[in-house]
Amino acid sequence: MPMKLLKTETENELKVEMILHAKRYSLTLNKARCTGCGICKEICPREAIEIKKVPKAEGEEAKPPTIDVSEEKCHYCGMCEPICPFGAPEVMVGGEHVVPVIKTESFPQLIREIEVDATRCPLDCVDCEEACPLELIKVSVHTPEGEEVTDIESRQNKENLTVTVDIEKNFCPCCRLCEIKCPEDAIHVLKIFHGNLRINREKCPKDCQDCLDVCPIPEALYLSEDGKIHVNELYCVYCGVCKIVCPEDEALEFNRTYIRHTPVRSGAWNRALEKLTSTEVMKKELQTKSSKKAQESLLESVKKTFPWRTET
Amino acid sequence: MSEEPRIGVFVCHCGLNIAGVIDVKELTEYARTIPNVVVAMDNRYTCADPGQEEIRKAIKEHKLNRVVVAACSPRLHEPTFRRTVAEAGLNPYVFEMANVREFSSWCHPSTPEEATEKAKDIVRMAVAKARLLQGLETIEVPVTNKTLILGGGIAGISAALDLAAMGFKVYLVERGESIGGHMAQLDKTFPTLDCSICIEGPKMVDVSRHPNIEIISYADILSVEGFVGNFKVKIRKNPRYIIAENCTGCGECRDVCPIEFPNEWDMNMGVRKAISVPFEQAVPLVYTINMDYCIECYKCVDACGARQAINFDQKPEEIELEVGTIITATGFDIYIPYDNSLYGYGRYNNVITALELERLILAAGPTGGKLVRASDGKKPHSVVIIQCVGSRDVNKYEYCSGFCCMYALKHSIQLKEKYGDDVEVYILYIDMRTHFKGYEEFYQRARDLGVNFIRGKVSHIIEDPETKNLIIRAEDMALGEPIELVAEFVVLSTAAIPSKGTEEMARILNVTRGADGFFMESHPKLKPIDTATDGIFLAGACQGPKDIPYSVSQGSGAASRAATILSQPTWKIEPIIAVVDPNKCRNTKAKCGICETRCPYGAIKAPEGQPAQVTTAMCHGCGTCVAECPADAITQMHFTDAQIFAQIRTALEKNPQDKILAFLCNWCSYAGADLAGTSRFEYPPTIRAIRVMCSGRVDRDFVLEAFRLGAGMVLVAACHLPYDCHYISGNVKMKARMEALVKIFEKLGLSPERFRVEYVSAAEGVKFAELIKEMTEQMEALGKEEIKAENEKLQPTLEKMLSKKQA
Ligand SMILES: Cc1cc2nc3c(=O)[nH]c(=O)nc-3n(C[C@H](O)[C@H](O)[C@H](O)COP(=O)(O)OP(=O)(O)OC[C@H]3O[C@@H](n4cnc5c(N)ncnc54)[C@H](O)[C@@H]3O)c2cc1C
Ligand code: SF4
Ligand code: SF4
Ligand code: SF4
Ligand code: SF4
Repeated sequence: MPMKLLKTETENELKVEMILHAKRYSLTLNKARCTGCGICKEICPREAIEIKKVPKAEGEEAKPPTIDVSEEKCHYCGMCEPICPFGAPEVMVGGEHVVPVIKTESFPQLIREIEVDATRCPLDCVDCEEACPLELIKVSVHTPEGEEVTDIESRQNKENLTVTVDIEKNFCPCCRLCEIKCPEDAIHVLKIFHGNLRINREKCPKDCQDCLDVCPIPEALYLSEDGKIHVNELYCVYCGVCKIVCPEDEALEFNRTYIRHTPVRSGAWNRALEKLTSTEVMKKELQTKSSKKAQESLLESVKKTFPWRTET
Repeated sequence: MSEEPRIGVFVCHCGLNIAGVIDVKELTEYARTIPNVVVAMDNRYTCADPGQEEIRKAIKEHKLNRVVVAACSPRLHEPTFRRTVAEAGLNPYVFEMANVREFSSWCHPSTPEEATEKAKDIVRMAVAKARLLQGLETIEVPVTNKTLILGGGIAGISAALDLAAMGFKVYLVERGESIGGHMAQLDKTFPTLDCSICIEGPKMVDVSRHPNIEIISYADILSVEGFVGNFKVKIRKNPRYIIAENCTGCGECRDVCPIEFPNEWDMNMGVRKAISVPFEQAVPLVYTINMDYCIECYKCVDACGARQAINFDQKPEEIELEVGTIITATGFDIYIPYDNSLYGYGRYNNVITALELERLILAAGPTGGKLVRASDGKKPHSVVIIQCVGSRDVNKYEYCSGFCCMYALKHSIQLKEKYGDDVEVYILYIDMRTHFKGYEEFYQRARDLGVNFIRGKVSHIIEDPETKNLIIRAEDMALGEPIELVAEFVVLSTAAIPSKGTEEMARILNVTRGADGFFMESHPKLKPIDTATDGIFLAGACQGPKDIPYSVSQGSGAASRAATILSQPTWKIEPIIAVVDPNKCRNTKAKCGICETRCPYGAIKAPEGQPAQVTTAMCHGCGTCVAECPADAITQMHFTDAQIFAQIRTALEKNPQDKILAFLCNWCSYAGADLAGTSRFEYPPTIRAIRVMCSGRVDRDFVLEAFRLGAGMVLVAACHLPYDCHYISGNVKMKARMEALVKIFEKLGLSPERFRVEYVSAAEGVKFAELIKEMTEQMEALGKEEIKAENEKLQPTLEKMLSKKQA
């Protein structure tokens, strides 16, 4: 059979496929998870990803952009999957969930450092569950036998019960809302992306609050009483979708400075970093993060890829 | 030569062949009366030793400086007599032949007097040309004794090994990453079912090891300049991003590379890594990074380690080679029938091409040799093989692709031998063609194994949406009724087509292509390996579909043809070439360059602001540019304007209105006229023929001059269109030129039948005789008076046209 390149789209999914007689590849984008931030677009080596802005209807809230993947260009390297803070893409090879660049350690994974000390959790608290804007947390109570308890009130041996906090980490952008909202200091979250975000309010067009409309994290942006938008960098995950929809170039300054990820064992990260952060950061990153050997090979490869970079 | 011509005329009896019809004594007497003829004598057999001796003696005795022999066709004995005069110390090119046998005695036996009169005209015309003949020096060019072979398929490999064994340096240029060509893609080969790579692999290795062979793979030819013995070839080596000398072919880089992409070598049915070789036995065994897919993770760099074979900075590299000959062995491609909805290829998952089947049944293929359907991964139990997909199809490729019948038999046998009764195999064919050694027996083997042969053409294929089986409707020609087959798998034996880039290669090499798009040989029978460009030869399927034994033979043939040149220190070129008079060429003042666009060989170049220049060794001497040059700045040696005008004027000195003045091209029409004579076809003695090498040489002015002088009829006869011309396309250029002339004649009121352009091949003696009969009848029907009257009316205009030209 000749090679087939397909694209199918449903309400919840966008799927591109490469079907060969002897092997098949697919990339599925979970549209509910995707915020349209376009981090994947930045790093895709094939320029297979396109961000499509959704036009704003009169009097309605701004909608986040959507992502389109080209079935002609995607070659299923899987780089977009580990880089997505929301875990929206999924690559399958030969019917199994395999991310080629992860399998060969050609690309690092984001580190989601989330520590939960459930022993501190009161039996009836579900604050984190409620706080999570992406509904990734499930709090449950179990008997020592492992049986789930739903009627805590009517139970007697309450001290035997334990609380479990399940977090679907792969889809978590680490906004820290759960941590902050936790009354018992039971959760600790470290940000994946660091950076800075500033809104020059005087540059904002009148009545615009597009950034706020599209931000996936409540309270990362908020309206003050005077009707102006403010940033709360405590919660911001630096996905950058606000920057994409912002109609005024100078109104929103956005910068990523640091990405928490597993050790780099390849050069592909350089290119990703080059696109996602500034050069300065990249150099620092190379100096601090990598092991000595990896660092050398990386610098070597940077020299090859960006000869002009090593001069500074 | 400014000295006064001293011409000797030697009339041959040819036993009774000439003397039996023509009054030789009278002819000899007559010759003596022609100005500048200082001696005329007759001999029973001029070509025999005593006859030749007589010529040599006469040259010395009478201080002759031109020689005319009135005997047979120059196509027969011109070389003989050129040698004779050369032996007597003259330049061989001061010799001219008067063809009084084929053109007179043999074709006018029942009118001896008129035959004698015609012979007198022929001799007088020959003397007229002889007066203006000049000695010419044979051109010798040095030969670089290296060869370039383009394409490393089995044909190119065979040629390379042969030439290398003869001691010549060979550059084998391959576009792909590895040599091997299609044969390296095949599983087994008919008719013996040897494993293909097992027999080709060792040859590929021999090529890579031979000290005389340099493989330049992953490279493209950019340009070819020069001529036989002296080609300059520019080549771009594409970057593999691997330092070939350092790469050990270990494949450790491949193992760590994360990226896979469809492998063209597997017909895109399987994948290869971004750093890989297309197949394990690749030669040279050097890896390549496909930068379209590489994500620059540098995992491979780490894996390669101390070998340091990977270099991301590699750039394309241009090199220039000097070679004496070129062998083109660029092979074929397979037709992918996306555009024919009848077969459902691309739409139905279980329809594949035969080449895809090869990769499927090959143990090293993408499925590990498992024959499985794409729709469900299961082995099919019924396979229908459909022949002539694209081939022998007037709407697609009209030719037969030659090897499909045999490989279909091979596939059916392989399936039956492997799966036995577990698979039912059908071959739907139009004709089974199994003509070479061992092939018919192979056909029988398939029949014995129970393969079902159905003679018929497919009318319809539909897919069962559930089972993904295919329902095939066809017309069974044996039963004469429609049939229906259900197949789990359909294999299409698709046409072999010219390989991608053949058109560009044809342009770069200046080699012609046939109507089928494949490269054209110089002569389909006698020069099947040569191209029209000296020093460039063809091998294998680039000339038309050929199976392996045939491709190998032709590879050896091409090697031997190339060696005829490479083994010589110098190469001789006939001096009958075009020469530009830089003072007359218009291109210095205004942009002209017409000659450049007309030369079939790219031998003449007119750079802006400079006079046109002919590359002597590339010029084949057709004279097309000479006829086309608006400034008459080009001369064809030995067929100069002055010489031909002299022949025209002499031919039409007496009773022009009774004569047909004919311009015959040497290779087809003149040979056809010779054949008419040899076959003793009688026709009226009205024609006076002038030989030109190519009809492309026939200048408009020649025709105008003939009518100005009152010719009854004018004929231009050429090789058949479009491909018979021995100078590629001289006849095509002549046709365009004469069509424009016909329009002028129409306006001037010339009776249309008085000017004919005809195509007569060397085999068409009858046609030639019939043509002259017909034209003579037409001439008589018009009547002398009418012709004279028409001519009188035309003459002032013609004079003006010709005088404007001369000014
Ligand atoms: C399905 C199938 C099955 C077959 N089975 C058999 C069989 O069993 N037995 C048999 O005898 N024959 C078989 N054949 C025919 C066989 O493939 C050919 O006879 C043979 O490949 C011809 O060899 P070649 O060298 O002329 O051309 P090719 O094999 O086509 O090789 C041409 C080479 O030239 C290279 N090239 C092309 N263009 C350029 C360029 N511009 N510059 C540089 N290099 C270039 C190509 O990359 C290639 O390596 C089969 C063919 C098919 C399609
Ligand atoms: S799998 Fe690779 S090529 Fe495909 S969209 Fe993701 S990053 Fe791009
Ligand atoms: S404010 Fe932060 S979390 Fe919200 S859209 Fe902008 S970058 Fe993303
Ligand atoms: S750098 Fe390119 S070729 Fe090398 S391992 Fe990575 S993807 Fe493969
Ligand atoms: S057109 Fe003919 S005669 Fe003129 S340069 Fe070309 S080959 Fe020579």
